[in-house]
Amino acid sequence: MGLQDDLERYREVDLGGSRPDSVRIPIKIVDLPGFEYDQRDQGGVGQGDGDTPEPGQPVGEPQPQPGDEEGDPGEEGGEHEYYEMDPEEFAQELDERLGLDLEPKGKQVAEEVEGEYTDITNTGPDSTLDFERLFKQGLKRKLAMDFDEEYVREALRVDGMGPQAVFEWVRANHLPVSRAWIDDAYASLPAAERTRWTSIEAMEANVEETDTATRIRREGIDHVPFRREDERYRYPEIIEEYEKNVVVVNIRDVSGSMREGKRELVERTFTPLDWYLTGKYDHAEFVYIAHDADAWRVDRDEFFGIRSGGGTKISSAYELAKEVLEEEYPWSDWNRYVFAAGDSENSSNDTEERVVPLMEEIPANLHAYVETQPSGNAINATHAEEIERSFADAGDVVVAYVSSPDDVVDAIDRVLSTEDDDE
Amino acid sequence: MSDRITAQRIASELESPVEEAANLAKKLGLDPYPVNYWIVDHDEMNELIAYDGFQTRYPHWRWGMKYDRQQKQTQFLGGKAFEIVNNDDPAHAFLQESNALADQKAVITHVEAHADFFAHNQWFGLFSGGETPNAAAMLARHADTIDEYMSDPEIDREDVEAWIDTIQCLDTNIDRHRAFSSATEEEGETVELDDIADQLDELDLGGDVVDEVFDEEWLESQRDDEETATIPPEPEQDLLAFFWRHGMAYDEEAGKAVEMTEWQRDVLEILRREAYYFAAQKMTKVMNEGWAAYWESMMMGEETFAGADEFLNYADHQARVLGSPGLNPYKLGKELWEYIENSVNRREVIERLLRVEGITWRNFHDVIDFDAVQERLAPDPIVDVITADRLDAPDPADPRIDADALERARAGEIDVGSYPWKVLTQRGMAERHYSLAKPQNRGFVRRTGREELERVSRYLFDGERYASVEDALAEVDRSVGWDRMFEIRESHNDVTFIDEFLTQEFVDDNDYFTYEYTQATRDFRATSTDYEDVKKKLLLRFTNFGKPTITVHDGNYNNRNELLLAHHYNGVMLDVEQAKQTLERVYDLWGRPVNLKTVVKEVDEHDLEVAKRREREADPEERGKLLRYDGDRFSMEDLPWEAVEGIAATDVDYDTKPDEWLA
Repeated sequence: MGLQDDLERYREVDLGGSRPDSVRIPIKIVDLPGFEYDQRDQGGVGQGDGDTPEPGQPVGEPQPQPGDEEGDPGEEGGEHEYYEMDPEEFAQELDERLGLDLEPKGKQVAEEVEGEYTDITNTGPDSTLDFERLFKQGLKRKLAMDFDEEYVREALRVDGMGPQAVFEWVRANHLPVSRAWIDDAYASLPAAERTRWTSIEAMEANVEETDTATRIRREGIDHVPFRREDERYRYPEIIEEYEKNVVVVNIRDVSGSMREGKRELVERTFTPLDWYLTGKYDHAEFVYIAHDADAWRVDRDEFFGIRSGGGTKISSAYELAKEVLEEEYPWSDWNRYVFAAGDSENSSNDTEERVVPLMEEIPANLHAYVETQPSGNAINATHAEEIERSFADAGDVVVAYVSSPDDVVDAIDRVLSTEDDDE
Repeated sequence: MSDRITAQRIASELESPVEEAANLAKKLGLDPYPVNYWIVDHDEMNELIAYDGFQTRYPHWRWGMKYDRQQKQTQFLGGKAFEIVNNDDPAHAFLQESNALADQKAVITHVEAHADFFAHNQWFGLFSGGETPNAAAMLARHADTIDEYMSDPEIDREDVEAWIDTIQCLDTNIDRHRAFSSATEEEGETVELDDIADQLDELDLGGDVVDEVFDEEWLESQRDDEETATIPPEPEQDLLAFFWRHGMAYDEEAGKAVEMTEWQRDVLEILRREAYYFAAQKMTKVMNEGWAAYWESMMMGEETFAGADEFLNYADHQARVLGSPGLNPYKLGKELWEYIENSVNRREVIERLLRVEGITWRNFHDVIDFDAVQERLAPDPIVDVITADRLDAPDPADPRIDADALERARAGEIDVGSYPWKVLTQRGMAERHYSLAKPQNRGFVRRTGREELERVSRYLFDGERYASVEDALAEVDRSVGWDRMFEIRESHNDVTFIDEFLTQEFVDDNDYFTYEYTQATRDFRATSTDYEDVKKKLLLRFTNFGKPTITVHDGNYNNRNELLLAHHYNGVMLDVEQAKQTLERVYDLWGRPVNLKTVVKEVDEHDLEVAKRREREADPEERGKLLRYDGDRFSMEDLPWEAVEGIAATDVDYDTKPDEWLA
């Protein structure tokens, strides 16, 4: 017994509670149930970093917190850190770890994307209205139309100055006052006040004009004149963005000979690869193909965890891959990666007669085959070797061997760091 | 072979840090169990982590899972300084050989503080009853026993595993406040009727009293009670013990409940004992981790145990451990310990200051020059600056000075450049590291609230008065903070720790807040920064291991030998889906139908709609429910409120949503 044995048992245990998707690095977590609080009803406590959220502010999903998992204090350096990663991070980590800097080559496609809202139009939905501009324009308008009413009234109190004389005076002084306003003001002025000053010079010497800024500061603005013509709507800039088109074909052997141990190794290799490429390319597309003697296309969810029976004919998968790639992912537009994994067992002559020619017929950035043989070599497991031999000189074909979980990282490294350099 | 040589080289390199860390810990007043350190490689470390810090555990896939996870974590996320120490006397701690020296030292100082906590916290004493825990030996014995059952050709290994799974689902359902005693010892709960008569005789009451009160009829009624008495007589929180005594296993083939086999009862008791052993650690996680982090930082940072060149490395280590996102119980613990230290020290200072002629709680803030106070509180250079060329200054008679050590230092036997603390006593250390003198705590005295000043002054004994602030401050005892911390680490657990020491000042200073799920927005929202709210949410998380309280109410429910469990509803409902899955497991330990009484919150669709339209929260209605599993299917039926009244607490409210949010 001992820990190695516990590990074996853990790999076999399946309580229906596995959550392969909730942990990012492919670690299977088997949860035992227990009497627990309803998480939503429980709420919790968080700690701000100098900026404690105000009540009502959203705080995001509660994160699993160190110490949530059971264990003993003082021992769990590991529990202090959380190992969930998103694919992008994962890809970065792996890049750093393996010293990779994988950028797909060639083939880009221009795509029209809406960029920043930097263009402007005169119409548009309310939500894109540039209110700041509208307000500024209104304010300018207000300032332009504004004048010191008291000052102009004072001018009307000069002896002998009627509306006409004052109108001429304001024009000369560049005050934006209309004749109509002057007429109204004059009319409402008690007759006794119309002779307060003997001359306009006397008035100017005694009364100071208050400038607009001061007056606004003192009295505030009661009205900003918004005008339809000041309205501007933001509009997204159209930019052409170049996207890298990547398609990854994952092929796995699910035939009868692929027993527990081999399946395990396939998943251990494919899961991080899948993660890596998902994280690496925003728009990578994935094709999943399972095969025994026949091949069929499956969903991602189905792909991991699939099993079947029957014989093996690897060429069936490549035929399907070829068909799919030609129809959906033309070589002229796509960077293609074709990854296959299995135990290297194939029906006789299939590799030499069918698979090799097919691989030659499927242009791709990279073809990879990962052999998963936990027990070393079976006599008839020669597919990987044959491929390796046939493509010994090709830079775009790689074969990796995985016989235990410890080999996985090396295999991934080998697969990812091989790419044909001559485009 | 070369591995062993590496390990030995590292071991000899660490010999002196280990010895000095223990010396330093003792200087600071810690009194740890002796610690045996082991150097292990990363794989052995992963194994130890998987096994909860021990070298041998019973066979189970769960350790395999932890191991796998641990391995991937180090593989994909890079190595970290791990520390493992287990609660034993002597304690065993493990150091990973690939760690840098600074990390090793940090681990060692951390471990010393844990070992002190293990040795002195009463909750750890609870399991061993004051004896040596002997944990490693106990766990190894358990491993042997279970291993034997699994290897027994008569017993199906998978049955043993499934049985362990089932029990592990309930391993927090024990009575954590009770000292462990084996389930066998707890039997014999029925008192014989004859005994009662005997006891009455022994009481030697007057004949008429006996006739009046304890007549035949009364004796008979006792007998009746006994026959109809429920099992258990009182709600039982230790589910595992209850199943050991009264449980049965469900036999698939026979299609009925059968007595548990010998191995089943044995495994049950073994896992229960382990659950009690690990309970103390779960109950003191915040305190214990905080304690270790506090003293680690004292030794590594303040006392530069790391050495100047290693310090950067060390700071990085601390940041990684404490800098996890969200609420970090380890950080909470450290912050609380520091807050306790500061507030006890502050209280000492203000008690002195309030005795100065002319200073009252009313004019405290107006008449005191706090910058001057700050200056006065700074440690005496005699304890603060200890260098080889200043060794003439200290007076051997000074209680802060370790006279022997000083003599040896003067003779050149002690390297005060590396270990200046050696010439001090604990009192000297307390002054050297006096918390209120530290830059980050400047202003702490000044910030004392008026309420606190008034309270302190109300309870101030008459007695000596000081003529000046200087005189008062000269009398300040700089050891009170540490003294209090040592007391607290003996008697408290996380729940009492948080309950007693969390204040508004603490919550404000450290930016804690509560959050709740709101129906209207379908996400989690911050709800409060009031310390009462923060406290109750924290208590909810740490009381009863953060799990709902479940007790056995009746082992003969409905007179059909069904089991009735009750969820003691405190305003937070159960995760009903998980409860169902758990009931399925409970069925395996009971063999007959199992029931769970609980209270759930239901929101009427209409109310929800109305509330949403008003951007308010709907007020859910609480309803009693009975969940039943008969071995085949579940049923859930409504219970009248009277039926759950007894299990629903009315005096607690863990909801921190502001009232005005409610519709």
